Amino acid sequence: MDEILRLENVSKTFPGVRALDNISLVLNRGEVLCLCGENGAGKSTLIKILSGAQPPDEGGRIFFDGREVTLSPHSALRMGIHTIYQEHIVFDDLDIVENIFAGFEITRWGLQQRQQMRAETERVLRYLKSDLRPEQRMRDLTSGQQKIVEIAKALVFKSNVIILDEPTASFSSREIGNVLDIVRTLRADGIGIIFISHHLDEVFDIGDRAIVLRDGRKVSAYPIAGLARSTLIKDMVGRDPASFYRREPVTPGEVVFAARHVTGNGVHDISFELRRGEILGVAGMVGSGRSELMEVLFGSAPLISGEIEIHGKPARHASPRDAIRNKMCFITEDRQGTGLFLEKSIGENVAVANMVNTRGLVARPADDLRIGAHYIKLLGIKAPSARTRVVNLSGGNQQKVVLGKWFNTGGEIYIFDEPSHGVDVGSKQEIYKIMVDLLKAGNAIIMVSSDMPEVISMSDRVLVFEQGTIAGELVGEQIAEETILTLSIGDRKA
Amino acid sequence: MSTSAKPQAQARESIFKRHENLTVLTIFVAFVLIIVLTQLISTGFREYPTFISPVNILNILQQVSVPGIVAVSMTMVMIARGIDLSVGMLASLVSIVVSLGVSRWGLGVVPSIAVGIGAAVVLETLMGFIISRTRVEPFIITLGGMIAFQGIALLLSNSREVVMQGELDFLTTNLLGGMRDPVTGLVLRLPPYVLMFFVVALLGGLVLNYTKYGRRLYAVGSNPRAAFLAGIDVKTMTLSVYVIQGLLVGIGATMLLARINTGIITLGTGLEIDTIAMVVIGGTALSGGRGNIVGTVIGVLFLGSIANAMNMLRLPSEVQFLTKGLVVILAVSAGDISSRISEYRALVGERRRGRAVPPAASQEGGQDGSDTSVRA
Repeated sequence: MDEILRLENVSKTFPGVRALDNISLVLNRGEVLCLCGENGAGKSTLIKILSGAQPPDEGGRIFFDGREVTLSPHSALRMGIHTIYQEHIVFDDLDIVENIFAGFEITRWGLQQRQQMRAETERVLRYLKSDLRPEQRMRDLTSGQQKIVEIAKALVFKSNVIILDEPTASFSSREIGNVLDIVRTLRADGIGIIFISHHLDEVFDIGDRAIVLRDGRKVSAYPIAGLARSTLIKDMVGRDPASFYRREPVTPGEVVFAARHVTGNGVHDISFELRRGEILGVAGMVGSGRSELMEVLFGSAPLISGEIEIHGKPARHASPRDAIRNKMCFITEDRQGTGLFLEKSIGENVAVANMVNTRGLVARPADDLRIGAHYIKLLGIKAPSARTRVVNLSGGNQQKVVLGKWFNTGGEIYIFDEPSHGVDVGSKQEIYKIMVDLLKAGNAIIMVSSDMPEVISMSDRVLVFEQGTIAGELVGEQIAEETILTLSIGDRKA
Repeated sequence: MSTSAKPQAQARESIFKRHENLTVLTIFVAFVLIIVLTQLISTGFREYPTFISPVNILNILQQVSVPGIVAVSMTMVMIARGIDLSVGMLASLVSIVVSLGVSRWGLGVVPSIAVGIGAAVVLETLMGFIISRTRVEPFIITLGGMIAFQGIALLLSNSREVVMQGELDFLTTNLLGGMRDPVTGLVLRLPPYVLMFFVVALLGGLVLNYTKYGRRLYAVGSNPRAAFLAGIDVKTMTLSVYVIQGLLVGIGATMLLARINTGIITLGTGLEIDTIAMVVIGGTALSGGRGNIVGTVIGVLFLGSIANAMNMLRLPSEVQFLTKGLVVILAVSAGDISSRISEYRALVGERRRGRAVPPAASQEGGQDGSDTSVRA
């Protein structure tokens, strides 16, 4: 076969993390190479290096068409390496032609050659067998159609390599079919394709070869023909459980929280119970409805049908205020976007949520500082004083400020959405310890997490989500990477 | 953010939280010093500088009191991520309603004032309702409000001014009756609305700093989504600042009407520009969540004294606009410029040290100097 792209011993180190470790791979013209691995295996980092968005560490070599190259976003495009990211980067109010040619307009004497650009767009859309019209506005397209426009954009210009990162996430099955058909067309025309998908069905449907990444290392590489699903899953998981955090066990008490047939915000018919002193892990792929369910439980998204029970009594959460009054806490995934007031001090951040419970109108800054100082000491937040603005803290310390905010409300039912997302290893252990202390004090925790070792080491029970509903519940010995992954990719046969 | 924090505490914490009002206060003091010095030099150090004579200071206070009252509520609106362009036209509308009530509708003085202030509250509440319940920018809603209020005011007054017979004179009585300035010998005047400004500012400051409502207002402006998840009723909070704005515009417009004795469409002209300028000079961010009343009061006094100082120095009135504009730009960008300068200095220092010491040691270079990050 005809080689187009080759990586030799490429590594990437971030402060404290080795995101990629000595990766070598070859991509040929006219083949689909699938990258497989769990969240955090290093797929995204690899894509960023291939698209030139981030430079690899010194020592690694990249060859394009036989010549050694250095990739930057600009040079990657010039070589015809196009990356289509999971998140769409589109101009909503511009039409398809304008989106495709944004920044690369065909001009003569500084004037746009609209006819020519339109003709090019039509040609490519025809090639992709798409019924989209060039003058349709991006805003009016479905996300599947937008994906097609992005692929068209890669094709209008010279293309040798196309990298597709989760191209079918959150698509309808018809749209998935369209995208896969397009990938086949591209392959037939000699373009090298790197395909990343959580859906093993697609990998087996369309891939020629697969490379499995785990913890930044290449674990295995094999042709897909004749490959057993179980082999692939084993290679994707296969982490040594001995390396996981070891949590103190706590004896669960009575049921404090229950969801009965909860439906709304994209999730349907969710039922479970939560006991005092217990961590209920919630696993599943990103977009499987885990965080959406938490929003419903906390009252920040409407409940359409079903019931929430707290201490055996039905509870109605019309807004987060009701949930906080019912002693619930929600440590959100997007710490900076939804958890913190970045420009405000630690004291102000910690004091704000408990105002729901305090009496009277008065709230003095001195109280904020006192409460802030208390939690700085209690949680070991590294900051000179409660006046320090949280924007100046590290991720781990910011997370502790969020925890302080909720502890201060005197909550008993905690929802942790990705509790250790974006914090360093040391802080991670501290946060785990704080969670166990919460359990010992008689609280209960629902923990949404994409971090497999975290789910396995912390959870007493695990609910696995798939497409907005519970695909299965795992207890005790059943909780393992393989069982969780198998359920979360909708592969109940395995 | 504490506006009334003790200076000693500030000095200790200054690296991590430079006082928000320090920059504008420095510029204001520098401005006053320049004017005073200019006056001293031009009179050969023989005369007391009239710019800081009691009569002139009271003069400035009379000029700024009404915009100052509105600036207090504008500060609250802007802390909650809003803006209100309609206050000028709303003030004109209130003046016309009150003067019509007194002179044509025969309502009596107090009911007329109540109707005028009530109208302002109702109209602002209406805008606040739309702003808090939709995703439309407050800029657009209040711009529409401004135009609509102009229409209402012109309709009510038949596009004519409404002259009164001094029915509101009780609002302009001189509280310092008979006192004279020891410097200039002129009569000192202190009308009630100057006190009103200080009372409103004091109340506003207390509310923002020492009530749950005030603390939550900062949270709403700082991050509405996080505020919602912390149990704050963001919609009601947003609505409330416009209600307060209506109340204070109503009061301010009545004071202004008492001064000029005529309900007229031009009464509030430029009020929105002046108050927004005062508030931003005082350090309140357009992006919300940041600002305080002490800063706003400094902004009010600063903007108000510019025109006065230009007169003192016998500069043409055209220069006033130029100076006002420059002051707004300077006051708002000074903080950013100074932090950029210190960042640059820290960087240069780090580079210099980087050359002298091995790389392992230079990594910690960013911790000192004016770099305020406390990464752990």
